[in-house]
Amino acid sequence: MRYIRPALARIAGIFGKDTADDDLREEMQAHLDMEIAENVRRGMSPAEARRQALLTSGGLTVAADAVRDQRGLPWLDSVSADIRYAVRALRHSPAFTAVVVVTLALGIGANTAIFSVVRAVLLKPLPHREGDRLVYLRQSMDGPGGADINFSVPEIRDFRTAAPALGSIAEFSPWFGTLRGKDDAIRIDVGLVTGNFFEVMGLSPILGRVTRPSDDGPGVPAVMVLTHDFWMKRFGGDSSIVGKQVRLDGNSLTVIGVLQPAPWFPDRMDALANMVISPHHLSALMVEGRTHRMTAVIARLAPGASVADARNEVGSVYDRMQRDHKDAYDPGSHYRVAVIPFKEALGERARLTLWILMAAAAFVMIISAANVANLTLMRGVRREHEMVVRAALGAGVGRLRRLLLVENLLLTLTGAIAGLGIAVAGVRLLTSLAERYSARANEIRLDAQVLGFTLLTAVALALLLSFLASLPREGSFAERIAAGVRRLTGDTRKQRLQRGLVVAQVAVSVVLLAGAGLLTRTMVQLSQVNTGLKSEEVLTVQVPLLQLSNIAGTGTDPREVFKAVMQSDAAAKVRYEQIRREIVGLPGVLEVGVGSSTPLKASMTSFEVKAEGKSIKVGEATPRADFRTAAPEYFSAAGIPLIKGRAFAATDGVGAGKVVIINQTLADKFFPGEDPIGKRIAWTGELLKFTPISPEWRTIVGVVGNTQDGGMDAPLRPALFMPFVQELSLSGVIVVRTDADAASLAPTVTRIIHRVAPAAPIEDVLTVKQIKAQSLAPRRLNAALVSSFGILAVLIAAVGIAGVLAFSVSARTNEIGIRMSLGADSGRVQRMILSEGGVLLVLGLAMGVVGAFFATRFIRGLLFGVAPNDPTTFVGVAVMMAAIGIVACWIPALRAARIDPAITMRST
Amino acid sequence: MADKLDVKQGTLALMILKTLEGLGPLHGYGIARRIEETSRNRLALNYGTLYPALLKLEQEGFIKAEWRQSENNRRAKFYALTANGRKQLARETREWHETADLIAAFLAPKREAP
Repeated sequence: MRYIRPALARIAGIFGKDTADDDLREEMQAHLDMEIAENVRRGMSPAEARRQALLTSGGLTVAADAVRDQRGLPWLDSVSADIRYAVRALRHSPAFTAVVVVTLALGIGANTAIFSVVRAVLLKPLPHREGDRLVYLRQSMDGPGGADINFSVPEIRDFRTAAPALGSIAEFSPWFGTLRGKDDAIRIDVGLVTGNFFEVMGLSPILGRVTRPSDDGPGVPAVMVLTHDFWMKRFGGDSSIVGKQVRLDGNSLTVIGVLQPAPWFPDRMDALANMVISPHHLSALMVEGRTHRMTAVIARLAPGASVADARNEVGSVYDRMQRDHKDAYDPGSHYRVAVIPFKEALGERARLTLWILMAAAAFVMIISAANVANLTLMRGVRREHEMVVRAALGAGVGRLRRLLLVENLLLTLTGAIAGLGIAVAGVRLLTSLAERYSARANEIRLDAQVLGFTLLTAVALALLLSFLASLPREGSFAERIAAGVRRLTGDTRKQRLQRGLVVAQVAVSVVLLAGAGLLTRTMVQLSQVNTGLKSEEVLTVQVPLLQLSNIAGTGTDPREVFKAVMQSDAAAKVRYEQIRREIVGLPGVLEVGVGSSTPLKASMTSFEVKAEGKSIKVGEATPRADFRTAAPEYFSAAGIPLIKGRAFAATDGVGAGKVVIINQTLADKFFPGEDPIGKRIAWTGELLKFTPISPEWRTIVGVVGNTQDGGMDAPLRPALFMPFVQELSLSGVIVVRTDADAASLAPTVTRIIHRVAPAAPIEDVLTVKQIKAQSLAPRRLNAALVSSFGILAVLIAAVGIAGVLAFSVSARTNEIGIRMSLGADSGRVQRMILSEGGVLLVLGLAMGVVGAFFATRFIRGLLFGVAPNDPTTFVGVAVMMAAIGIVACWIPALRAARIDPAITMRST
Repeated sequence: MADKLDVKQGTLALMILKTLEGLGPLHGYGIARRIEETSRNRLALNYGTLYPALLKLEQEGFIKAEWRQSENNRRAKFYALTANGRKQLARETREWHETADLIAAFLAPKREAP
């Protein structure tokens, strides 16, 4: 209680300072007047009376200061004075301030932006309840498309019974369908889920409910849960959607709820539905077929079980499965299963790229901090005189340190604020990069924690900078003043620190540049990869026309279903032909073809293949090929070169003999050194049972060139084409080759398709050029980011070298003056300074090259067509750094050469 | 001037309170003069000592200030003891006596040393 009142009075004293000051002045003046009057009364002359009165007062200003200290909070007053002083001091050296603030802004901006992405994509806890208990199971095999092949129902059943560490298992089967709206139709990705799915995943609805076990099995009402993203995008967040009916293909589903926002893996989903909408998922084929792998598996670890326990159990169950079902796991393909924490799985593809960007940004930060430290040190030395004077006037070391801290805080915080501006722009750019790698990209934001990170960085840096500057020991001021110290005399310790910082800057810049060089060379190599297509001016439009809606109502009789499918397929093909003919008539169109899949994109399905009279060696992986169909004009429309034989012809009709065209990769696989034309080939394997594709022998009539279907950096994929009319048109792509700008044709082509097939969902209207650019875009952005960091680093390092040398020159002005007056010419002086910088440069370069040699190994996974220690890149980087470094040395060297000995000697 | 004592920390407050108790409301000059007289000019009170002490007492609520006309018709700030101030004066007087006795006992020549 005792202290509250004075404390409040003091706080109140901070305000109303001006009136209080006036009062005080008047009060003391009255005191003085009375004292003078008294002195006069005692017989002094008025002047003497006044002098004596002032003498006893002890100084009005000092007294007023003492009262002010008592009145408010004195440290607040002096801090605000420090801030005012710091602002003034910084305004007096605008060049220094600008360089420091810009350097810091770039460093802090880059780090803040990338940290916000790293946090959202890799670090932040999952939105799922106890998300760290979730694990993703991945089955893989060798060969294209074998990285994640999902699980079959019997496999999941085995895990469920024999791997108790997987406490509960959530399954979802990626599916897609056409969602019919009022006046349009879109293709959406739907996950078919079991009733326990949401319970296991730990996800809750924000509206309505999610599925439960009673939604499992046949004969239940079809229900759908919307994902948050899709609900916002398609229904604009309309909450009245719950309880409504929607039409997906031939099914009518009730929307029962909207899910909380959550990332999806391995595929993005628009909605989740129960299995009842796909009779196939409930059929014996699906439930009993061990090779029918269509289901992704996410499990919640049993209480007390660790990821290691789960790995052990899953491993031994999987070993037993492989022993018991030899036909389902051909040894040549090396089937394997991995248990990965769900959060890691979500960040998997982004991890390497993001950590590399984070490291690059951290490097830039280190270099900028080193630079700022250097600048501050130099400024500190120049201000030694000022510090001594301030100390002489009564400032203690603590007070001086505080002044430095206030100044540095002002600098780093200004830098941080400018950096946040950069970060806001950077985050937008990075989000578009992260979207390609991670489902969690929509969680990226500059929130309080990221701001906290930035603030912390700024404050830490300010502290570091303030304590780096050496202040004279307490009590040593008197000696210094007595010794007439006016400025530095070349403090060797500080010089060594500065030089060390410059060497580090050069070394780190070289490492960054090497990384940037390798990534850029990767980009160049990739953009030079031959796509295999003859033209880039090709427009592709994906239009699935086969309407499965009329099939759903046909009952369960397989023959009835088959008849309905065939009718619907025939109708679709008529429409494709109609669309094709209309587009051919457009001006500028050279050729139009229809096929099942887009060139330069992997086919959605691949199956095992065999060639007549060819057996595969023991231990060799079962050959597979992409399943593709093509109308006669497809190859020339897409620009796929025919190497041998013929293209399909109109005579390869529905009733004609089954013929196929294979690509070069498949030809090399089965018929090395032979002519494949006339040989026979067939689809094979367990999986065919689940498809309408026949396993009969088909005669090869042609061989076409390879195209980069899996991406520019992917290995070539074997492909097998069948005539479009001989197979079901499960998917359809229209390929249009033009004589000019293919992209400009897109609106017209879209309009034609809308007219012919109003209900068809049109997807991915892209030119070949765009497809290629899209597949390179993430790498391009990646290379561009690291390169800009590298260039930034080099520039900052150059400023660092130039600054340190300039400082050294100004510190050695006298010495240089003496040398020159003793006969050294300006060339000699120039060489002296150049060699001083050259030593730092060479040291930094050597350390940087060694560092890069080790550091670039970490980015091996991001490189293509270039080795991590590619000599060309290393030499190029070293030459570039050396050239910029020499220029940076030259500027202060020239200044040194222009020193006039007469002036410097006289001014000493 | 040189042989004058500085006021010991903490004792000035007591002197001010005692002065105000004896003389009633008084301005800064009056208080300073009175203290100097009482000390027979052994104490010198400059403004930098006096006014912060007055402000502190005011903040603590022991005295209150008011602008009034002085004896020679000049506006001056007059300080007066509050009820709290009176209690504080009694407390501090007692404490001061106790401290003085204690110090005196310590400083007295010791007899029981062997």
